[in-house]
Amino acid sequence: MPLIGALPQPITSAPVVLFVYLVLILLLGSALASVLLRNTLYAVGAFAASMVLVALLYLAIAPFLLVAIQLLVFTTVSAALLIGLLRATTGVRTSSVGRLSPEWVIGAALSAVMFAMLALVLGATAWPVQVCCALPLRLGDTLTNDYPVAFAVLAVILASAALGTGLLLAAPTLPSPRRGGSRSGSSQ
Amino acid sequence: MSAGLNLVLVASAALFAVGAFALVARRSAVIMLLGTQFMFMAGSIAFVAFAQFGIGKIHSTAGTSMALYAGAVAVAELAVGLAMAALIYRQHRSFALDADRG
Repeated sequence: MPLIGALPQPITSAPVVLFVYLVLILLLGSALASVLLRNTLYAVGAFAASMVLVALLYLAIAPFLLVAIQLLVFTTVSAALLIGLLRATTGVRTSSVGRLSPEWVIGAALSAVMFAMLALVLGATAWPVQVCCALPLRLGDTLTNDYPVAFAVLAVILASAALGTGLLLAAPTLPSPRRGGSRSGSSQ
Repeated sequence: MSAGLNLVLVASAALFAVGAFALVARRSAVIMLLGTQFMFMAGSIAFVAFAQFGIGKIHSTAGTSMALYAGAVAVAELAVGLAMAALIYRQHRSFALDADRG
């Protein structure tokens, strides 16, 4: 009896294949733009677009839970961290448009309609993947039963990162040697 | 026309190359951090592709679990890296890692 049976077949449905090709091309394009752009704010925007495109790729080839986590947690947290850094350093100009202006209301309504349509399509159809309610339970079992050491290590890493970030940001800034200050250690 | 393991792995390798290029060729700490994020992303995509199309299909949640771990570690790395970038900026008024060379 062979140890490995027949491998799963690739995706052959034409709309899904086109969707995967399109997402991959856009993903590589936005990644290149993020790396090559001189303006840091635009680079961060292209990076956020890349994260969203990875979530769209997962939509076609991965469980929906991973799509949701990639879109709602990883993308949001990464973008918030990067925008926070820019606000704290080089500064990001605030919008001149008021918060309750018609532009904001129209944009929010449009976004809500698009999210509602996406939820409707995902909930009512099996395209491109069937949303499966049992998956989070299976995934939780996998995380905690099959990889308990990795789970514990991940908790330690996240706690260490939070602690380290706080300590770094709370540390006093040493004066730059170019501005007449002195620093301990080599100046090379 | 089909989309299988080879296509996703090639795209993953290209994304990893883009990240490595950013890490090697750019001087800005923020862009270099974005490069490491792309490299993490490429690894996650490869894990998911193997779980979907490769022998990982036998244990299909394993690839997803690895992608979740990689994403969480990437976010942790980004937080610490950005804190270091903020310190560099406070000291040199620039994100360039070699700003102290004058």
